[in-house]
Amino acid sequence: MGNLFRSEEMTLCQLFLQSEAAYACVSELGELGLVQFRDLNPDVNAFQRKFVNEVRRCDEMERKLRYLEKEIKKDGIPMLDTGENPEAPQPREMIDLEATFEKLENELREVNQNAEALKRNFLELTELKHILRKTQVFFDEAEYGYCYPTSSSSQMADPSREEEQVTLLGEEGLRAGGQALKLGFVAGVILRERIPAFERMLWRACRGNVFLRQAEIESPLEDPSNGDNVFKSVFIIFFQGDQLKTRVKKICEGFRATLYPCPEAPADRREMAMGVMTRLEDLNTVLGQTQDHRHRVLVAAAKNIKNWFVKVRKIKAIYHTLNLFNLDVTQKCLIAECWVPVLDLETIQLALRRGTERSGSSVPPILNRMESFEDPPTYNRTNKFTHGFQVLIDSYGVATYREVNPAPYTIITFPFLFAVMFGDLGHGMIMAMFGAWMVLREKPLAAKKSDSEIWNIFFGGRYIILLMGMFSMYTGFVYNDTFSKSLNVFGSYWSVNYNASTVMSNKDLQLNPSTTDYQQYPYPIGLDPVWQVAENKIIFMNAYKMKISIIIGVFQMLFGVCLSLWNFIYFQRRISIYCEFIPQIIFLCFLFLYMVILMFVKWTNYGPSTGDVKTGPYCAPSILITFINMVLFKTNSAPAVCDAYMYSGQQAFQMLLVVVALICIPWMLFAKPALILRNKRKMHVPLNSNHHNHAMGSENGDAEAALSQAQVPPPLPPHKEEEEHDVGELFIHQGIHTIEYVLGSVSHTASYLRLWALSLAHAQLSEVLWNMVLRNGLMFEGWVGGIALYITFAIWATLTIAILVLMEGLSAFLHCLRLHWVEFQSKFYQGMGYHFQPFSFEAILDSAAQGPEE
Amino acid sequence: MIGCIFNIDGGYLEGLCRGFKCGILKQADYLNLVQCETLEDLKLHLQGTDYGSFLANEPSPLQVSVIDDKLREKLVIEFQHMRKHAVEPLSTFLDFITYSYMIDNIILLITGTLHHRPISELIPKCHPLGSFEQMEAIHVAATPAELYNAVLVDTPLAPFFVDCISEQDLDEMNIEIIRNTLYKAYLEAFFNFCKELGGTTADVMCEILAFEADRRAIIITINSFGTELTKDDRAKLYPRCGKLHPDGLAALARADDYEQVKAVAEYYAEYSALFEGAGNNPGEKTLEDKFFEHEVRLNVHAFLQQFHFGVFYSYLKLKEQECRNIVWISECVAQKHRAKIDNYIPIF
Repeated sequence: MGNLFRSEEMTLCQLFLQSEAAYACVSELGELGLVQFRDLNPDVNAFQRKFVNEVRRCDEMERKLRYLEKEIKKDGIPMLDTGENPEAPQPREMIDLEATFEKLENELREVNQNAEALKRNFLELTELKHILRKTQVFFDEAEYGYCYPTSSSSQMADPSREEEQVTLLGEEGLRAGGQALKLGFVAGVILRERIPAFERMLWRACRGNVFLRQAEIESPLEDPSNGDNVFKSVFIIFFQGDQLKTRVKKICEGFRATLYPCPEAPADRREMAMGVMTRLEDLNTVLGQTQDHRHRVLVAAAKNIKNWFVKVRKIKAIYHTLNLFNLDVTQKCLIAECWVPVLDLETIQLALRRGTERSGSSVPPILNRMESFEDPPTYNRTNKFTHGFQVLIDSYGVATYREVNPAPYTIITFPFLFAVMFGDLGHGMIMAMFGAWMVLREKPLAAKKSDSEIWNIFFGGRYIILLMGMFSMYTGFVYNDTFSKSLNVFGSYWSVNYNASTVMSNKDLQLNPSTTDYQQYPYPIGLDPVWQVAENKIIFMNAYKMKISIIIGVFQMLFGVCLSLWNFIYFQRRISIYCEFIPQIIFLCFLFLYMVILMFVKWTNYGPSTGDVKTGPYCAPSILITFINMVLFKTNSAPAVCDAYMYSGQQAFQMLLVVVALICIPWMLFAKPALILRNKRKMHVPLNSNHHNHAMGSENGDAEAALSQAQVPPPLPPHKEEEEHDVGELFIHQGIHTIEYVLGSVSHTASYLRLWALSLAHAQLSEVLWNMVLRNGLMFEGWVGGIALYITFAIWATLTIAILVLMEGLSAFLHCLRLHWVEFQSKFYQGMGYHFQPFSFEAILDSAAQGPEE
Repeated sequence: MIGCIFNIDGGYLEGLCRGFKCGILKQADYLNLVQCETLEDLKLHLQGTDYGSFLANEPSPLQVSVIDDKLREKLVIEFQHMRKHAVEPLSTFLDFITYSYMIDNIILLITGTLHHRPISELIPKCHPLGSFEQMEAIHVAATPAELYNAVLVDTPLAPFFVDCISEQDLDEMNIEIIRNTLYKAYLEAFFNFCKELGGTTADVMCEILAFEADRRAIIITINSFGTELTKDDRAKLYPRCGKLHPDGLAALARADDYEQVKAVAEYYAEYSALFEGAGNNPGEKTLEDKFFEHEVRLNVHAFLQQFHFGVFYSYLKLKEQECRNIVWISECVAQKHRAKIDNYIPIF
């Protein structure tokens, strides 16, 4: 934890691994998760790398596992997630795994095939059953229709074809009566949505010489190939002659209708139906057994599947990593390059030794530290508490290697600034309770692994939310604001000395702090509750909160500038201290810190009960006007009885401050580039060809870094043109920097007023909500009041949570984030680094588990 | 003016389509693909592109046909997605694109039944974009008139088919004639539709369709040499919406051999360039490939302009070309026949 304030010191290492031991070593490193490997063969295709076959085998295994998983999910068998983390198996175990998966997959496929065949059989029989049942109705109707032809025709499916139906039925009747005319029919089952097209096609292709009856099968049937439920209809087509028969059959085939034999005689049909029923029953038992078998196979697989997934993914990750390595000439060992935190070199060595022992290799792996001019990755070690804050910082930009990490300060300043805007004891308590709940139930909640993005954001920031809630409770206590009401904890220090009738009749009565209305010493902590009922509450609060915002802001910015000093000292950029830090701090102190001091002076020196009119409320100066006059070199004006200035010699002193602050601007602008130029010339004379400025400059972003570093990289030949270019760029860069700082300190100071604005808005909103909603519920008397309160409280509570806690909270959060990113970090933070992404099984498994669920 | 309101209905889909287009393989990808030793390598490389894990759930060993199916499946899913979100007139435009696949499917099925293949064997070979409900019952028909009356009258192809009803029976020759007549009617209808849409769509699409029409005319002419197709019949098959219309088509109708066709093409700058250097000798590209290249060029140009429907057509065509390329490379890899592996047509 020693390096909370800066990112870890990293080093580039070269790793020589013996071919046999490489797998075990990388596996150990993966468990450790502290090493970032570099791709040593970036221009080699994915399929031309050394271990591509192993990767492919892993892919294949993963595919089989996915197939298993899909089948398990289909059956709704719970998968046992013990959360255990098996080690990556030895390469030789891979064959066993492969064999196991192969066997399982084949078994499952076979079972599935059998089940499908059985189901298909089952489906056919069910369809036949339905056909027999439905056609029975048709035949019955036909007989009925023979007796009463007119009434039957009106029942037909398609009234437009009445005529044919009548004749057809008539013919059938004739046939039944022993006539020679033969009317053939086919019966079958078709998907219900295909019926209209089917009917139309039949009509067209057979020129209306067929008669179709259909009836819907009410219960859905299962499609054996994919298990979906489909709705089907039974149809029966009557026609005359063989030619029509072939045609009808072709159409049926075309519409994927299944045809079934259907005997003509009612007795045969009944017999057939009986047969079908018995066969269905038999099939049912067989199907049940198949399902049982399948279930057994799957349950056995479900126990291990998570474990297997972990193993396979680990193997795959290891081979992917090995693919990044170089083979040495003798093919005996693999060479890797990696970034490692210096502090963990020991641990890594240990892990490597463990890996070597496990693989039984005799030659130990060699870990060499290498010198590198490349920028190392930024690695901030975090725990679950600091992690959330580090993420807030990193989402702005990853810190440049070894620069000051603002995260530890953010832990306090972020919730605090948030709380200044969100100050309300009640709302803060709701938020703190929510945060505390998440923190206390951390483990079970984390194990659930929700997919909901919003929840994950909340959960990831649970410590931030907890702190924000607690700080809000504190500021809420100071503001004495609880759901827009005050708590009278210590008893107000103000009292009303008028009698009741005076108070009731006079609207404009005021309490005078210089009399006995006020006890002459303040409320112990926070705001006196009397302000809650005062008419001039907002004016009073504004004056207080506005000043507080500026004070907090100036101090935070000052702190930011001081952090830049720390950076400069660490990177040994002496020039930057003299030419950037000092003028910057002078500029900020002489203008804005002075203003803050004036605020304190005003608070302490001016009051109602001092007796002297010059320090009384009438003569209290406006800090804002004073400050504006100071910058514009104007003299203060004041009423005759008052002093125009707060102390003697103020005007002269202020002018001095402004002049010095203004001098700082050219200082910031020109001093640094000029000094760099001069130093460069000096160095050119003795060394003649010492120009490494460009090389270093491009790496560290700041050219002067090279000047202060003692050991210099091998000199490059001088480039005159580049130098010209460099100088111009240097001045432009510095110009931008200066303008940004000078304008920034004005606008940033003003920007901190958002603390006041949001706080005001929050307080007003909660007051409005109380007055407009909950107060209405409190106005009724008797039992009506109970009901009214019940309703209004529900509305009030919902709105409080939704608008005041959630929406206002979000808005305060975002403003607070901005204050940190822009106002605070712009003073010192570069954020030009890149993340340290160690090879870690944990991260790989996490992302793999997330992937398929999306 | 059309551009201003284009985005109300078409903006999302155009953006989507352009996004899809960015997934089309680049020259660098092809260079990697042709280095593959096995189909597994190919799969591994395609995983790194926009295709992602589209082959991940396929058991080894891979077949070229599986790759082909999966490629087509992906394309069809994308196209169907766009079609489902489209509103008029884009939906009609997209439907028009599918009609050509319907024509192909019908011809495939009729030819299949002519050779007494079972219909269940033929259905999987049909392009899913061109499937329609009555498709599978097509073998009911024995004559074009029946085909029209029984099957096609409900489909959107009905108006195109009117010219074919006169044909007597369905034999190889007539099927080919039906195909080309259908295609001619379809192209002309599509051309007119695009023209009615106006604006950039008309500019872009008419250019592409005109080329398509001319290509058909030229190919029909070349393929008709040595068959019993009379010159009059041949002339009836030429789509009349290309740049060759009317003089070029008239000249083509009189052509007797390849040289005369080439002579006709000489009059048209873009086509004469295609005939230059085309041939069947090794080292030369076939005329067909030349046409494909030109088509790819036109389709890529369609993406240079915004606010028009041409991008959807072009995307589909480019993606199809890409599928052909990948399948070609896969075939070469699978058959260890690497000599011609470079004969794919790069898109970007």
